Amino acid sequence: MTRRYWNINLEEMMEAGVHFGHGTRKWNLRMSPYISAKCKGIHILNLTRTARFLSEACDLVFDASSRGKQFLIVGTKNKAADSVARAAIRARCHYVNKKWLGGMLTNWSTTETRLHKFRDLRMEQKAGRLTHLPKRDAAVLKRQLSHLQTYLGGIKYMTGLPDIIIIVDQQEEYTALRECITLGIPTICLTDTNCDPDLADISIPANDDAIASIRLILTKLVFAICEGRSSYIRNP
Amino acid sequence: MATTTPPLSSSTSSSSSLATHLPRFSLFPNPTTLLSLYSSKPPFFSLSSSRSLQTHLSCTKKDDIDITFFDEVNPDEDITFSPPEKPEDFIPPRAIDEPPFESDEEIAQAYEELYGPAYSGETYLGKDIYVMDSKVKKTTGFGSKGKKEKIRDGFDENVVQVRRVTKVVKGGKHMRFRAVVVVGDKKGQVGVGVGKAKEVISAVQKAATDARRNIITVPMTKYLTFPHRNEADYGAARVMLRPAAPGTGVIAGGAVRTVLEMAGVENALGKQLGSNNALNNARATVLAVQTMKQFSEVARERGIPMEELWK
Repeated sequence: MTRRYWNINLEEMMEAGVHFGHGTRKWNLRMSPYISAKCKGIHILNLTRTARFLSEACDLVFDASSRGKQFLIVGTKNKAADSVARAAIRARCHYVNKKWLGGMLTNWSTTETRLHKFRDLRMEQKAGRLTHLPKRDAAVLKRQLSHLQTYLGGIKYMTGLPDIIIIVDQQEEYTALRECITLGIPTICLTDTNCDPDLADISIPANDDAIASIRLILTKLVFAICEGRSSYIRNP
Repeated sequence: MATTTPPLSSSTSSSSSLATHLPRFSLFPNPTTLLSLYSSKPPFFSLSSSRSLQTHLSCTKKDDIDITFFDEVNPDEDITFSPPEKPEDFIPPRAIDEPPFESDEEIAQAYEELYGPAYSGETYLGKDIYVMDSKVKKTTGFGSKGKKEKIRDGFDENVVQVRRVTKVVKGGKHMRFRAVVVVGDKKGQVGVGVGKAKEVISAVQKAATDARRNIITVPMTKYLTFPHRNEADYGAARVMLRPAAPGTGVIAGGAVRTVLEMAGVENALGKQLGSNNALNNARATVLAVQTMKQFSEVARERGIPMEELWK
């Protein structure tokens, strides 16, 4: 894997507040190698290690996208939902914005049935056949369509299981992480001081509470994906 | 552990003092076997001679984990972040939240170029929208002839047991069927699965899918039998398996016989020593077979030629 320059500088990360952890009482002991200090009841992460992990993750992601692999970004915290959607759209990846439905990956055949229904409903809406139905049926179908749009809107272009999954908050998305582990899909996870770094394949110790820190890390990863994809398009 | 560290050539007096310090549930009940272990271990374990007995015992169990790549890693050294040099024409990328934002159409077009129309329901490049229909297997086909994929990927299914199980609810008894299925090609791969459904056929299908998910390989010798005796338990079921000379056939009862037949084992003896529960016995045979080792593996791990093992 070639190491490239990803414009990671520690001052930028400090400004975004990547180094803040959670309160001292809530920490997970396995994060102790990545915690550098304790200040005012909050653990402070070691930014050099974060930067190292982030650059490794970017290298991995660049390599994978230059081979044409598919990504999925999962982030359901209401703070992070917007930036996850924007990041994924910029990188042309799939994303899960709202609640991660249990069994989305392990029960992929059922999820595919739902996606079929979503597509059929959209077709009907575009063709205008909903107006011919009685008002109540039309309202029911519209409600179903909006439901499917919120939960499955980000994965409507997904044809099979993704190759790499990026998870924003490990505690929130524990079910998603568990599914990936059972299926054997490599994961990149943003771990905070109360998370377990051994569960994911590459865990980036960072702050998952501040929007700025999530935005920063997602920007770097998305940049790597874009670069890799452009090199894939140039020579497949 | 506060035991005194014995030298490699331990005398009988020190071995007896060791024996008194051993915990009651030690794996080596006979102190003389300890001596033979110390004398016959390969040079790798000489490092552990100064450690306590507990860690030494745990070392010998982790045979199949390769930890040699940790030898050069020093956990206490500081990790430095030394990125490659910044190239001169590097432009920092645009942040995600900044305008200009792309319009929905452009986004949809870009996605479609990459992934095809998939489930979006619209297409800008003129591709077929219903392209995903052909890829999904129709599992519930009302008008079709039923399941066409009976013989998929070379595995045979054998139903060991179908039972009717009940859940009592307010309205009465809610009946379902539970099927235990053993799946195998007759060449050394078996799997056991359970499935429950309201109808027998769907229960059998679910069980077969489950069985295909956990398949193990049976270590077999040239004469289609086991390398050595083994026992295993699962729940209250305890199964003893024993190799046999060619021409014996499979002499075992019920679930054990089905598992061994599906694996392709021709000559073996098996006995259900504990309960007679079919599912637990099937799982116990799978466990017993998993923990068996081939002679070549053992010889390789211990670093001695195979002829030594046959003595």
